[in-house]
Amino acid sequence: MENQAVVDKHQDMFEELLQEYSAATALTKPEKAQKLMGQIDIMADSRSGLEFLFERIEKLSEAGIFLGSPWADPSKLVPTLVNGTLKSGHPNSTIEILSEIRLLAIANGKMKVGNLTQHEAANYIQEVVVSNLEFVFNEPLEETRLVMSDHELSKVHSLFQFLSAYTDYDQVKAKIAEELYLICEQRPVVTEKQRKIIAWVKEKISLDPENPDDRKLLSFQRSIYRPTKRCIDHDFRTYRETLSSLSPEELKAESQEIGEMMLKHGLVSQFQASLLLFLVETKKVEIIPLCLGLNPSGVARFNELSTYVIQLIKEIIDPFNAQCIYGLAKMLENSVLSREAVRSGLSNLLTIKIHPEVEKRILKSTRTPHEKVSPKQYLIGAVLRILGQPLGVGQGNNPTCQSARGISMWSQHAPAKLIHMIQTAAVYDDLTFRFEGREVKYSTTPQGLVQALDHNLDAVSVTLVPMLDRVYNEMMRLASGRGEDPHKWVNPALYGQWIQVGFASAYDYMSDAIIDFDGFVKVFYATCHPDFNGGNRLVYPNPVGIFITSAKAEMLGFHAVSLLRVDKDPEGILRAYFLNPNNEGRQDWGQGIKPSVVGKGEVYGESSLPLYQFAARVYAFHYNTLEATEKMINVPIEEVQKVRQIAKESWGQSYNWLDIRKKW
Amino acid sequence: MAKCFALMGWSLPVIESMQKLGKPFVVVSFPDFQSYAEENNIPFVPYKFNEWSDTSNSLDLLEKLKAFDADVAVPLFEETVEWAGALNSIFRDDPKVLNRAFLFRNKAMMKRKALIGGLRVGLFEEVYNKEGVKNFMDRLNEANLQIEGEEDSWVHIKPFASAGTVGHRLLKSKADVDRKCEEGDFPCLAESHLPGTEFSCEAFIHGGKIRFLNITEYVKLGYSNFIPEGKHLNSKRERIMQEMQKLVNIFGIQYGMIHPEWFLTENDELSFGEVACRIPGGHILELASKAYGFDALAAFVCCHDPNLPEEELKELLPAPDARPNEFYGNVMIYPRKNRISQLVIPEELKEESYFLDHTLVPPLTTQKLDTREGFGNHFGTVNFKGEDPDRMRELLLHYENVDFYQ
Repeated sequence: MENQAVVDKHQDMFEELLQEYSAATALTKPEKAQKLMGQIDIMADSRSGLEFLFERIEKLSEAGIFLGSPWADPSKLVPTLVNGTLKSGHPNSTIEILSEIRLLAIANGKMKVGNLTQHEAANYIQEVVVSNLEFVFNEPLEETRLVMSDHELSKVHSLFQFLSAYTDYDQVKAKIAEELYLICEQRPVVTEKQRKIIAWVKEKISLDPENPDDRKLLSFQRSIYRPTKRCIDHDFRTYRETLSSLSPEELKAESQEIGEMMLKHGLVSQFQASLLLFLVETKKVEIIPLCLGLNPSGVARFNELSTYVIQLIKEIIDPFNAQCIYGLAKMLENSVLSREAVRSGLSNLLTIKIHPEVEKRILKSTRTPHEKVSPKQYLIGAVLRILGQPLGVGQGNNPTCQSARGISMWSQHAPAKLIHMIQTAAVYDDLTFRFEGREVKYSTTPQGLVQALDHNLDAVSVTLVPMLDRVYNEMMRLASGRGEDPHKWVNPALYGQWIQVGFASAYDYMSDAIIDFDGFVKVFYATCHPDFNGGNRLVYPNPVGIFITSAKAEMLGFHAVSLLRVDKDPEGILRAYFLNPNNEGRQDWGQGIKPSVVGKGEVYGESSLPLYQFAARVYAFHYNTLEATEKMINVPIEEVQKVRQIAKESWGQSYNWLDIRKKW
Repeated sequence: MAKCFALMGWSLPVIESMQKLGKPFVVVSFPDFQSYAEENNIPFVPYKFNEWSDTSNSLDLLEKLKAFDADVAVPLFEETVEWAGALNSIFRDDPKVLNRAFLFRNKAMMKRKALIGGLRVGLFEEVYNKEGVKNFMDRLNEANLQIEGEEDSWVHIKPFASAGTVGHRLLKSKADVDRKCEEGDFPCLAESHLPGTEFSCEAFIHGGKIRFLNITEYVKLGYSNFIPEGKHLNSKRERIMQEMQKLVNIFGIQYGMIHPEWFLTENDELSFGEVACRIPGGHILELASKAYGFDALAAFVCCHDPNLPEEELKELLPAPDARPNEFYGNVMIYPRKNRISQLVIPEELKEESYFLDHTLVPPLTTQKLDTREGFGNHFGTVNFKGEDPDRMRELLLHYENVDFYQ
């Protein structure tokens, strides 16, 4: 409860400081502004404080609080920058909050600044709300929690509560539906984000089934809260009680409906777990494939392995560990479960005792751990999800793209090795790798890139990533100082010997420059462009190093992705399809280069770009030295020039370029 | 009336006060400020105060100031005291004005002068190395009749010519001398520890008379103070005024403002600490302005003008017997860790009815702090206002120990 006397005092102080600020000449304005902003900072963490500021925003604006700052002209503000500014703390966050309040005042017709219309201001606010859903839901990401103090968090949360009260959510419905669609179409292994948004929509917005945007949102809601009509007015427990009264035909229909609902958005409801367990218990084996939404090849594998699968379901599935049903279904379809080694590995996992440290990490990664579900169930559930959706693996807010990329690669190409790795790590909280004849052991290596792990990850990642990260770092250390990018040796050692021996890098360590970029591009095309590589398809994912650039195409840093395939999209454009272990495949790298995640021929979880655009961001990849060098002469110079220009005008600005020919 | 004030040193609040007052002035400061001055139409003469040579001296500066018709120099900072003294010597055609400025810049000379004039001071000596400090401590121990096993007498060392707490060290034992003293400290002034509560005075002087006396109560040196003085000090105001006028007379100060520090013991004995003649630190004039409702900076500058008309002086200064109802205090906040990443304003402060405002700045991401100079650079000030001086003291003491940075 806020004490009225304190509130009054703060309001008086504000008035006094605003008075002093207004009276100050240009010389001491910054100093007075600092005090005034300090007072606003204090008041901004409550709804009443924001209401108060809202009433005075015109006066504040006229007094010049925004002048000479990047917030001066409201028509030049960018909604997507708001999130970063809010996280940067006082005074930036405070003036950002004032800026939002001002836009709200403009949107409500309370004040006018420049030519900005009410409509434009309202749109801006909506975009800010949509791109800050983490604050709207007050579920900050781990990273956000790390950088923001409690006071800053409550300021920003209060702001969005305040904006919410004035925002007409009917206007953002379409944007939220689109956001949900794009998240779900990437089929991430971790589904907390979309679930949170769906829950929020359910709480805040009343939906009308007649309206097309509302129908989209309702469809998401139903996939979690009401996958079939029979679930209405039930929770998963009472729902289960109703199942025994169903005829076999009704059960089949129910299973089919619930299985199809899961496939729509890749989200599993608690009801589905209830139903699946009911089918297992009552031995309705023939209906299980319907409940899993399996395609014909999935059904065939289920029939072949039904005893094993039923055992897995019994041990792992629970209404509180339901999402892995989707992973299990996809595992049956992608045939990973047909491998004897995978089945043995999973059986072994069922018998292990997990190290207490690892248990802690697993429970921390589980948003709402339930007493009925053991850490082992969560872990194996996550194994099913990763094996079923290898392209849904994400790095969370951790600088561990290498580790996430590795988990994804192994789950496709060395699943038994991955399971064994998980088993070792889970039991011993330790892991060893081979590197050039020596052993690299997690427990005896120094700290890696991760200082504090963001636990917004799946249970497999929280088990493995801290170790993989350190092992990777140690390998990098061992391979450094050789005058070349250490990844040349580390990638095969970390990921597997199927990584090609040849390693092409645009950057030359010795001369600290980009050398023979034309040759580099030619080798890249000769490796993966079907017109120049002899019409070959890529076999294993290629661990590729890319330059990350901003929306203005400025160099930001390095990132690890894997190139999965090169194919023509439905429109006949040749595209690179790749895994971006960053949680969000949708990016803007400037120069119109915006990886797409859906609609351009992508499989769930893939990102894609026209091949030449992808090539223009690559700085390192592996290739077959015996093949590529002979084929590179076929690559036409015009193609190379196109890539070169895009590269040079973006990240290339940060480097010297030398046109010495190099032997590839 | 002064034709033009030469403000020696760069201070935006002083410039603003002068602009509001509408009196002609010119700012003399380092060339770094020139572009800002030009952009903001501030009359400006760039001068390197840290250079003294055939081409950089008061006569040369005097030439440069002729264009502005400057006839009164006002020292704003410790480092410009001699420069202002030299210029005013010429303006007033009185060489002793410069010598007086030296008096403010050499703490040993200052103390001798005070001693000669009959003020009570501690035992003091110029020292040249650690041995010197230890010998001084020995003599002090002897005089204090130390018995074996008793603690050493406390000794303070201070550079001859630094402002406030810069370079000030308190040495409680010979081991302290070895641990805390550095080669660069010497030569300096060593003095015995003066007991009692410390306070400062800001005396606005015109024609050799104190025209207004502010007393600033120090809660903790270098951390916190408030204005006006609390009840006990206030009851001694007359005594203090007498001693202050004595000090003005001994030093022969005619115009300007002095800012001495005093110690008052339980037996009502007043000891003189040291004195400065520039703008005091700790935002003292800011607090004084608010408490007494006058522009202390404008008054500070104008008191330097020998030709200031009496009416104007009266208008600028509060009545000599003014006693405000509300006390203004502040506490300077220093981070208490080597590495800080967050500013946290405690809830109890936000709800404190005496809390006025703060100028604390959040750290830049994770900030590593520089080693301390004096009390170090404070990260900002928390200001308070209220009617009860005892409550004020309590609050200032409390918040001095609150960690605002994590």
